[in-house]
Amino acid sequence: MQITFDQVSHVYGKGTPFERIALHDISFMIPSGSFVGIIGQTGSGKSTLIQHLNGLLLPSAGKITLGDTVITAKQRLPHEQRRDIGLVFQYPEHQLFEETVAKDVAFGPSNFELPEAMVDARVREALEIVGLDYEKVKDRSPFHMSGGQMRRVALAGVLAMQPKVLVLDEPTAGLDPEGRNLILEAIYRIHQEQKLTTLLVTHSMEEAARYADYMLVLAQGKVALQGKPDEVFMQAERLRELAMDVPETVAFVSRLNQMLPDKEGLPNSVYREEELIAHLLERLSVPKEG
Amino acid sequence: MLQNIAIGQYVPGHSFLHRADPRSKLLFIILFATLVFLANNALTYAVLIAFTLYAGLLSRLSLGYILKSLKPVWILIVFTIVLHIFMTKGGTVYFQWGWFTVEERGVQQAIFISFRLGLLVIISSLLTLTTSPIDLTEGLERLLGPFARIGVPVHDIALMMSIAIRFIPTLMEETDKIIKAQTARGANFTSGSLIKRAQNLIPIAIPLFVSAFRRAEDLALAMEARGYRGGVGRTRLHKLAFSWRDAGMAVAGVLLAITIGWWRA
Repeated sequence: MQITFDQVSHVYGKGTPFERIALHDISFMIPSGSFVGIIGQTGSGKSTLIQHLNGLLLPSAGKITLGDTVITAKQRLPHEQRRDIGLVFQYPEHQLFEETVAKDVAFGPSNFELPEAMVDARVREALEIVGLDYEKVKDRSPFHMSGGQMRRVALAGVLAMQPKVLVLDEPTAGLDPEGRNLILEAIYRIHQEQKLTTLLVTHSMEEAARYADYMLVLAQGKVALQGKPDEVFMQAERLRELAMDVPETVAFVSRLNQMLPDKEGLPNSVYREEELIAHLLERLSVPKEG
Repeated sequence: MLQNIAIGQYVPGHSFLHRADPRSKLLFIILFATLVFLANNALTYAVLIAFTLYAGLLSRLSLGYILKSLKPVWILIVFTIVLHIFMTKGGTVYFQWGWFTVEERGVQQAIFISFRLGLLVIISSLLTLTTSPIDLTEGLERLLGPFARIGVPVHDIALMMSIAIRFIPTLMEETDKIIKAQTARGANFTSGSLIKRAQNLIPIAIPLFVSAFRRAEDLALAMEARGYRGGVGRTRLHKLAFSWRDAGMAVAGVLLAITIGWWRA
């Protein structure tokens, strides 16, 4: 689903002493099927931005287009269309409430009045995507699971609605490295398998570099930078001004390139860990016929 | 969704009212509430209204914002007006339709009682708008201090109050977040039958309770870790002290009391 923001602004607490502009004239276009990394400091407007995507917040000014649907200050998103946009909040495990895992995951799809058999199938599928064994976990209480597992159950609860757009607000916050990888790999897998449009809000440049094919950098409610990851990472100076760093891989390549003669430098488009390793191995291996 | 509630919301500032001692503000409100109930004619009400307006000016908050605190009680006020207009009898009959009459005393009472309610709400919102919750509970603790001698756990009550007040915005935020998260999962809180809507509260209430208990546990642990063991021997960072402002308020209170006492019918 193609997503367009056209000069979107959002003001909190209009007309009170607490009035605060959270988004200021945001414009961008995300083609269907992209994996977008949204990066920004705390308070840069990331969370406000993503709540506009399924109509939880309406823009104070401007226009949002989701596929064929338009959202403006006066035009809400119809209820049925909420399920096309799966929104996973920060610490989604805090929204769990049912007695069993299966019931909790079924909450989303049942709200859209799907037949029971279909709901069951979706629950099973969603739990498997996030790497949980349906038979083992379905009757367990979600409150008796580990933090990482709870988060995956909550993620499954959104996936079970089979959204076309998946929006995740820092899905890895507070997890250990293993939990992080499990979640991110699951997200990336369904992004590719189901050709979703995915928006990943994150603090970590590494996470963004690894998965994103488009990046939005927010600062003080405005889009500070946007473009393909390598284009964004090239502006290391600007990123530093925004108190953000380029990923380790990019820093490594630029340090390496300073030491190499101009022609032999690595291309700047290499920023994914695997690609970089492949490149380096290729450079370091001695040609056999030589 | 839940961010438009003005009552009890502290707005930081440096006005006369902001700087006055919370104890004198509390005492003044008790006096004012008594005077509101003593007022019984147009003149005394006019004095009280004028005084409340002046107090509003002293807070340097916008009048519109202060009046917003009436929002949660307007139904009550309207209800009181209607009840008095129709039920209270006496004086000239303005309107008659069968057994049904609107009489002078009823209209008068309707106006007085609605102003009484409005004044009480506004003056107490002025207290919470200009006093931080910490100052407020400390003021209460000090005022109730003498009761500690007869075994009332004043410190613990004050602490419970400040914790409760402190967590209102946090829990509001949390509720807001949970409502949003469940809405994103297709929950619909605004339509359906009454029973359906009541059932819809479960996905909000349970996560909210879970998080409230978690927070309570964390807080208790954090307080213990920092050596909290009740009020005995606890010292304060900021001591409350009376100033010329409080003397001013005392004078204003006495003058107001004399005026009301003199002019009331």
